[in-house]
Amino acid sequence: MSIIFLLIGISLLVALTFLGAFFWAVRSGQYEDDYTPAVRMLFEEETEPDIPPGGSAA
Amino acid sequence: MPVPVAPALAPPPPHISVACTHCGDACPDAPIRLPAEPGLAFCCQGCRAVYELLAANRLCTYYRLDAHPGQKMKTVELPGRFDYLDAEAVQAQLLAFRSPTLARITFSIPQMHCASCIWLLENLFKLDPGISSSRVNFLRKELTVSYQPAATTLKKVVKLLAAVGYEPQITLAELGAQPHAASRTLYYQLGIAAFGFGNVMLLAFPEYFSFAGQLQSTFGRFFGGLSFLLALPVLLVSARGFYRSAWQGLRQRYINLDFPISLGLTALFMTSVFEVLTQRGPGYFDSFTGLVFFMLIGKWVQQRSYDALRFDRDFTSYFPVAVTRLTTAGEESVSVKELRAGQRIRVRHQEIIPADAVLRRGAGQIDYSFVSGESEPVARQAGDLLYAGGRQMGEAVELEVVREVSQGYLTQLWNNPAFQKEKQPSLETYADKVGRYFVGLTLTLALGAVAYWYPQNPAMALRAFTSVLVIACPCALSLATPFALGAALRVLGRRKFYLKNSAVVETLGRADTLVFDKTGTLTDVKKSVVEYVGPPLSPGQMQAVAAVVRQSTHPLSQRLATELPASSLAVADFTETPGQGVRGTVAGVVVRVGTAAFVGAAAAEAATEAAGPAQSGVYFRLGEASGRYLFRNVYRDSLRPVLAALGTRYRLAVLSGDNDTEQARLRELFGPTAEIHFRQTPQNKLEYIAQLKKAGRTVVMVGDGLNDAGALQCADAGIALTDTLTNFSPACDAILEADNFGQLATMLGFSRTCLRIVLATFALSFVYNGIGLTLAVQGRFTPIVSAILMPISSLSVMVFATLLVRLAARRRGL
Repeated sequence: MSIIFLLIGISLLVALTFLGAFFWAVRSGQYEDDYTPAVRMLFEEETEPDIPPGGSAA
Repeated sequence: MPVPVAPALAPPPPHISVACTHCGDACPDAPIRLPAEPGLAFCCQGCRAVYELLAANRLCTYYRLDAHPGQKMKTVELPGRFDYLDAEAVQAQLLAFRSPTLARITFSIPQMHCASCIWLLENLFKLDPGISSSRVNFLRKELTVSYQPAATTLKKVVKLLAAVGYEPQITLAELGAQPHAASRTLYYQLGIAAFGFGNVMLLAFPEYFSFAGQLQSTFGRFFGGLSFLLALPVLLVSARGFYRSAWQGLRQRYINLDFPISLGLTALFMTSVFEVLTQRGPGYFDSFTGLVFFMLIGKWVQQRSYDALRFDRDFTSYFPVAVTRLTTAGEESVSVKELRAGQRIRVRHQEIIPADAVLRRGAGQIDYSFVSGESEPVARQAGDLLYAGGRQMGEAVELEVVREVSQGYLTQLWNNPAFQKEKQPSLETYADKVGRYFVGLTLTLALGAVAYWYPQNPAMALRAFTSVLVIACPCALSLATPFALGAALRVLGRRKFYLKNSAVVETLGRADTLVFDKTGTLTDVKKSVVEYVGPPLSPGQMQAVAAVVRQSTHPLSQRLATELPASSLAVADFTETPGQGVRGTVAGVVVRVGTAAFVGAAAAEAATEAAGPAQSGVYFRLGEASGRYLFRNVYRDSLRPVLAALGTRYRLAVLSGDNDTEQARLRELFGPTAEIHFRQTPQNKLEYIAQLKKAGRTVVMVGDGLNDAGALQCADAGIALTDTLTNFSPACDAILEADNFGQLATMLGFSRTCLRIVLATFALSFVYNGIGLTLAVQGRFTPIVSAILMPISSLSVMVFATLLVRLAARRRGL
């Protein structure tokens, strides 16, 4: 049954990794703005073919 | 590459609905078209200029992400408006980071509102190669720009932002105060508590299941020790806030809700340590970490508020950063703080007078609406004293400063004690009141249990004592308020009523007196009614008047222009005499519009006779015809129903900075019992509120301007009314968008309901505490009971409070 010691040790290590990841996320400011990134990721990177918004003037 | 923005006058009322490609406003009869793309219509030259700038830089994605994302370009470009940004002292204060190769600054841009805004602002580098990156924080409405000082300047960056319609707010308050890093402590605390809770719970499982009995006997000590290690950081880091708050309360000889919480947490932790050390069992570490975790969630819910809105703005947010100082060497831009008495400054059209000063040259036309509540601009001659805070309309004037900014008439208000100390919650919250009785009750019960058990079973006595203390931890109770009021906060936020924090809901729910400001609060500034007095005019004559007033930037002219029919008549030899009026020749007829003296005494007399005195108006003479336009305050459409709903429950009062011409109408609106006071200075208003409070009333002040700032601050809850959230609003507890003024009565009623919901939730949590206490005094409160009771009580209280508030909101149609 001493394998339990090892397993618990490993599970704690995994949990600590996640805790560390959470701290990193907080430190890098990810919890300060939870709106902009959701919008930002939808923007196209490349220079666009420049079509004027013809329909919007109707 | 700043684009000169042509002066754009307000468009006439829409006749046809062609939406401007840039801002979406209705275009005038003949919209401005681009030769290259005739399909696009623009309402004004300013909007067209922005479109051309973006099109030239292949940034038209802006118009595809959201329909009509632009800001209407209405401000008249003033030469040299941003010159002060070149000043070394200003830059040193504004820039967050500076080196020869890189500079970084964070702007506050309240205009941003959609995905298009984010996209354009993050693509600024395409418009100015000197900008290396720009990053938006949408919730805080902030833009962080990094640029190379060698390639561009701060002034160019700001000018570029202004040219595309996103002029940043740079005011005295932003100087020196760089964007506050949001507190991340709570997130760390939550993370640690969640980590501890999750792991300790797993380790506690063997105890709860009988089949794992063998496991428990083998590993009990190890699990206990590990649980202790995991719970220790939760106690030291996560639970710190509760201990600190309880200690602060005690030092002020005051028991708040955090006191029994701290007591319970301590009892829980000490008992667990004792049990683990003596190998009696695994202790209550899972309950302990769980409690802390749930209560931190409550705190987090409570803390989430409206970051982008500033509730603590004082006069410095309203004042400009720099002014134009006149010296023998010419003009220079200096920081407002450097102004000294005796210096000469120049204030241009639309600029704010930064310090009390004497007018030396030029005709002052000062709009004090924001400071004193007077609705019309007042004319001032050379030699008159001008108070800080007024806005000059018309030509540039020269002033001599008599008092430094910090000594001014307006800023004196901020020396009032109401502003000095951190605002103490003047009302004891329900939770704290209940918490106090709770402590007394549980301590009595705990001692009673000891007295009962000690003679027969000393071990049992100790167990009962600690169990009762553990149960005394009002975890569910502490969750009731944040969850109920937090849900209320979000409901009200959806209706554009933004509260500073959830405690304001409680204050609003308990209010018994409502005090209103008049100008801008009861009246709708945007909608003054223009009334014509005089002989009937032909459409041609009206068009002639319209053509002339359209040439002028004076606010009254502009308002008149929007009221009169659209006119394309040509105006010859147009002249504007500041503070007097305008004249021009239309189709060979001289048109004069302005003060009585300006248009001629005879015409004025005739018109005055017809209209009666004491009302502001604009006279005009057109050949032989003459007449007068009156501008009347319009009360908000919803005012009457709101007052009818409020009048039955609240004591109402009106404080107006204006004269008493409106007395009869207000009396009729507010009913015979309301107190109505006129010609109130900001100081008067503050004192009036203080007096009411001294009389034991819970006062809610509803105001809008800087002149109400003292009263808003002094009142138990100050509600600032604003037409656009981007506008300046004085320090307050809540910001209500003016369009939703009609729902004020419903919202206040909703706050009252929320208080009852809080009480109902208290009752629910008492049920759990009752069950726990019954078990505890009998010494049957075991770790497994605690592990079941604790999460059930916490979760059910959270759900119960949130659902009830939602239900109440739906019933009231919020």
